[in-house]
Amino acid sequence: MEIIRNMARRRLRTTLTVLGIVIGIFALTTMGAMAEHFNALLDGGVRYFGSSIQVGASDGQAPILPVSKADELMQVAGVEAVFPAYSFAAKPGGLRVVSFGIPDEIVSHSPSENGYNALKTSFAHGRDIADNSRGEVVLGSGIANDLKKKVGDQIDLPVRPQDAKADFINHNFTVVGVLNTTRTAPDSFAYVSIPDAQMLFNDTLPATFRGPLGATQLAESFTVYGKPGASPAELDAIANRINQQTTGLKATKPSDSVNAFKSGGAVFTAVTTAAAMLALVIGGLSVVNTMIMAVTERFREIGLKKAVGAHTGHVLREYLAEATVIGLVGGGLGYLLGVILTNVINLAGRASNLELFLVTPTLTAIALGFSVALGALAGVIPAFRAARLDPVTALRTTS
Amino acid sequence: MANIELVDLTKHYRQGRSLVRALDGVSLEIEAGEFVSVVGRSGSGKTTLLDLIGLLLRPTGGRVLIDGVDTASMRDNQRADERGQRIGFIFQEYNLLPALNVLENVMLPLRYRKSRGKDGRARALELLEAVGLTDRIKHRPDELSGGQQQRVAIARALINRPAMVLGDEPTGSVDTQTSQELVGLMRWLNREENVTFVIVTHDLELAARADRMIQLKDGRVMADEPVLHAA
Repeated sequence: MEIIRNMARRRLRTTLTVLGIVIGIFALTTMGAMAEHFNALLDGGVRYFGSSIQVGASDGQAPILPVSKADELMQVAGVEAVFPAYSFAAKPGGLRVVSFGIPDEIVSHSPSENGYNALKTSFAHGRDIADNSRGEVVLGSGIANDLKKKVGDQIDLPVRPQDAKADFINHNFTVVGVLNTTRTAPDSFAYVSIPDAQMLFNDTLPATFRGPLGATQLAESFTVYGKPGASPAELDAIANRINQQTTGLKATKPSDSVNAFKSGGAVFTAVTTAAAMLALVIGGLSVVNTMIMAVTERFREIGLKKAVGAHTGHVLREYLAEATVIGLVGGGLGYLLGVILTNVINLAGRASNLELFLVTPTLTAIALGFSVALGALAGVIPAFRAARLDPVTALRTTS
Repeated sequence: MANIELVDLTKHYRQGRSLVRALDGVSLEIEAGEFVSVVGRSGSGKTTLLDLIGLLLRPTGGRVLIDGVDTASMRDNQRADERGQRIGFIFQEYNLLPALNVLENVMLPLRYRKSRGKDGRARALELLEAVGLTDRIKHRPDELSGGQQQRVAIARALINRPAMVLGDEPTGSVDTQTSQELVGLMRWLNREENVTFVIVTHDLELAARADRMIQLKDGRVMADEPVLHAA
């Protein structure tokens, strides 16, 4: 209570100091929430690509492969399952720009794949599609929100652009399931069965290819799995064997994919952390300044406390506690402002499936922990100065 | 009550190149329960003497004995404990903490005691009643007059049932009438609480109401004699 009253005695100065901390922790919260969101996205990629091997056409070749290559892949030692893979823009025609979100996509999906992949999804509503079901789609939470669809609704995929040409083709699907939010790729995906994906793939081919080859004979790429729970090293070895033993195919080692994700995340986290740290240092300096002023103004109080029996340690603790409370008040406010702003922006972006921030319990602990540590650290020097004052000198100081 | 013994006490300061002999070979004894005034001109060494008795300063030479215990070997924290438990201070400028109310100011020294006891609040209320401030316990210092603030300071000085109270110009910032009231209060507490009072003052009326008056000049005791009170 005494600490709060002391803070209230110099309202303007305390307010400015607290504002310094507010800005620092606000920056830490918002930047951190952006990094957490980005890391959650990357984490999904790490789990997905860390538990499967992506196999495409060899370098320099068009991404069109005969489905029969799956049999060739199954011959490679260690390969347990192979799924032809297809993906298409769910909303073609729009400008593709770099963003923090993953663009809405239609992807092929086989329920059998669930047993192999480390990236697990669960259903908020409805059910999964069957391996050979036709005209059914499962939507990720983000794309369902974006397209305003729920279980039982009809949807034409891909979505017809406003400026679609006369030869634009799409197909009607029934939404049979909506996934829970994963904060990563599946949120933006519309999952269709492999036969439906082949039908959509056929629509993308030049007219001359469509009839003769047959949609069921072509794949964009393959997703290959080892035994469930295989380590990245085991999958890397399988990828190496695929590259050595097959022709016209190129397998990407899971460790290469994972490293690419991680390095991207590390750079982003470093940039956001550096920005937040800069703001924190400025906030910390304002606490140092305030506490030095407080100590200077309260020399006589310190002298009196020592005269009536306070040890050096008592005075040190009291001033450290005051600095810590300033840090905590500023940090709490900064964190709250950060949470409010990130939620408002996320809410505004949710309509277009573009969420930028993720406030996690870890981030909350870091923000509040930092504010306390910042206040305490900034208060150390002034508190030592106060605690070491000679009582007579302090008592005789003129106000 | 404390018996205070000063033996050949000196305190020298360096001020630039010159040496200031603030106290120069003072020896005296103050009996437990006495009400002693220390008078002298500015710079005579009164406040230095009080700071040495109050263990706020360490002497350059000589010894300060409280109840026969030599304080020279005490470490800083021991001296702080001794101040907190056995010595009360009253200052000219009251030195109340503005962030605390009257009751909290009186109870401040309890905060730093190792064993606080359970009767701290009751003791503070008892003292505030004794100094006539029962109706002001929730007030802040800036809501009180100078005399009232000094009464709070007197109550604070007595909260730990000290053996002695040291006053540095306790009536220096109040008017004559308030000064007389404060002196009366201190004398009454001296008897009621059996506490030794050593008061440094320029106020000759206050000095005249003490049991004994010590006069300092240039850091030396010039006179030390009992005060004769009219019957």
